[in-house]
Amino acid sequence: MSQTITIDPVTRLEGHGKITIQLNGHGEVEDAQFHVTQVRGFERFSEGRPFYEMPGLMARICGICPVSHLITSAKACEAIMSVRIPHSAAQLRRMLNLAQMIQSHALSFFYLSSPDLLLGMEADPKVRHIFGVVGAKPNLGRAGIALRRFGQHIIELLGHKRIHPGWVVPGGVTEPLSAAKRDEILAMMPEAFQSTKLALAGYKQIVDNFRPEIEVFANFPSNYLGLVNEDDSIEFTDGALRLIDGTGRIIEDGITAARSTEIIGEAVEPHSYTKFTYYKPLGYPDGCYRVGPLARLNIAKSMGTPLADAELAEFKQLAAGPVHSSFYYHHARLIDILYGIEKIEQILNDPLILDTHVRATAGVNRLEGAGQSEAPRGTLHHHYKVDENGLITWANLVIATGHNNHAMNKGVAQAARHYIKNGKFTEGILNRVEAVVRTFDPCLSCSTHAFGQMPLAMTLLSADGEVVDHVVRS
Amino acid sequence: MFPGPQRRRPGAPCSVESSNANQIRCLILACGNTLREDDGVGPFLAHWAEERWRDDARVRVLCDHQWTPEMAEDVAQAETIVFIDCATDSAPGLVRCMAVKPAPDSTKLGMHHLDASQLLALSKHVYGAMPRTSLLLTIGAGSLELREGFSAVVQAALPEARQGLEDTVQRLLSSKTVQRA
Repeated sequence: MSQTITIDPVTRLEGHGKITIQLNGHGEVEDAQFHVTQVRGFERFSEGRPFYEMPGLMARICGICPVSHLITSAKACEAIMSVRIPHSAAQLRRMLNLAQMIQSHALSFFYLSSPDLLLGMEADPKVRHIFGVVGAKPNLGRAGIALRRFGQHIIELLGHKRIHPGWVVPGGVTEPLSAAKRDEILAMMPEAFQSTKLALAGYKQIVDNFRPEIEVFANFPSNYLGLVNEDDSIEFTDGALRLIDGTGRIIEDGITAARSTEIIGEAVEPHSYTKFTYYKPLGYPDGCYRVGPLARLNIAKSMGTPLADAELAEFKQLAAGPVHSSFYYHHARLIDILYGIEKIEQILNDPLILDTHVRATAGVNRLEGAGQSEAPRGTLHHHYKVDENGLITWANLVIATGHNNHAMNKGVAQAARHYIKNGKFTEGILNRVEAVVRTFDPCLSCSTHAFGQMPLAMTLLSADGEVVDHVVRS
Repeated sequence: MFPGPQRRRPGAPCSVESSNANQIRCLILACGNTLREDDGVGPFLAHWAEERWRDDARVRVLCDHQWTPEMAEDVAQAETIVFIDCATDSAPGLVRCMAVKPAPDSTKLGMHHLDASQLLALSKHVYGAMPRTSLLLTIGAGSLELREGFSAVVQAALPEARQGLEDTVQRLLSSKTVQRA
């Protein structure tokens, strides 16, 4: 008789979801699926709104990465306006985006994943939380909180609010940077660098304890998608997309936001509200790919900042070509943070950063526009159509978690097949299956535009559909 | 140390003024959502407190939609603290002020929002310090519907809540300062 395991809800994620593991009559894993179980529908209710309202509306999708939606939406609006924003505005947006990436990555690494990394996958769930982390490594606990505050405070200084800032608008930003704010951010740099170096050193000390997990945590060749600059360095806000295959070969390069709308397809599976994106020329699912920190480091040839470049060189030693195990998303996330801090420092030392010309103005000059940027979890696309009065007639958002959806499902199945034998499993095994999803740091609220708490669940089903076990965590 | 959230009018853009958190004798830490009717009582009282103690450097007012782990450092640096929130487990309009103790170590923490006892526990564990006196001022919610303003019962309780906050802060400010490690 076959069986099904359900993990419901999966914990320490952004949003709701569950995992179903289907066993065959011998108790071996037949298939596994990661379900995103909520839906919101921002695309539909934006119809009829003036296009210039979109950044503010779309930022409400998420409380973790509102800046990404704000910036990407503004870029789509600027395509409709046919304007190029001033240099200082572009730099300020870049800094805001990096600040958000830092605080989001700090949340993912220190708050959500470090209990597994520092205390172990088999640790008692009663201590597998931030208190346990602080007890085991108090300096790392403080570093995590400090880095999150660092990112949030920059967002607050620039955008007046830590969450849902409204400072980014179509055409640029609403006000320039003052010298006092610049100096305040610069004064925060030393502690941010120190916290990041501490985290990287701590990660490198413990990573060898996770060799078994590295082998089976979504460890398979795939395509990778991410933004790069013309000099092949990593980019989060501008640049163009590059798609590489599992060997590192460039499949497509210089992909603009407008071109993305032509080559990225979205498939639907009956078990999830999140769509599965793919590269159209390769079809579904062969054209699926991964995005986010791991993809960015696999694609970029340099970071463009000295400390992060040294870390990237070390990271690239992990494999002859692209690094495939999703466990290394954790490592890549820390390198992203280091880059972000260095880049913010560079931006603040730009002699034009205090320039007061920060906004371009125009009306509707095109009836369609698309924008793209790198959110913390990966590439984000907004695509709008408007009528001649600038009212939205159609909108589509393609979210990082949708890009990673196929790989997450495949990774869950890989880990489940490895760990679950003869229908037997322990809490530690279920935690490992959940931890595969956590490596991607999916934002389920963004991907389906859901809201609420963030649990996830797991169900074990027999071959005839009988629920054998169901684990629910809150 | 990074500067924490600054004194600001709830719901209004934050200021970027400098403040020396080490000098704070009383931290008023409110939370709530002004779009969910009585849940906005925390921001309302925080706004009032900021005006009331605008020129008193001993008092610092912070307010946000929810309490998050990043606030633990501000809590650790305060000599005394008054948390302000609405309550769904007390009679509508009932104003209560009670002592708060840190949550036990076995408590599971949410990473997006904490309650007062969890925030105290986090400040103790992460920064090795917490206020010598910690109080929680709550106002029983009558309605948490999606609108601004207050239910009639909470509206009627606002003078008592303001007076309760005034009395509490004055008592904390007049109490003996303890040299902290």
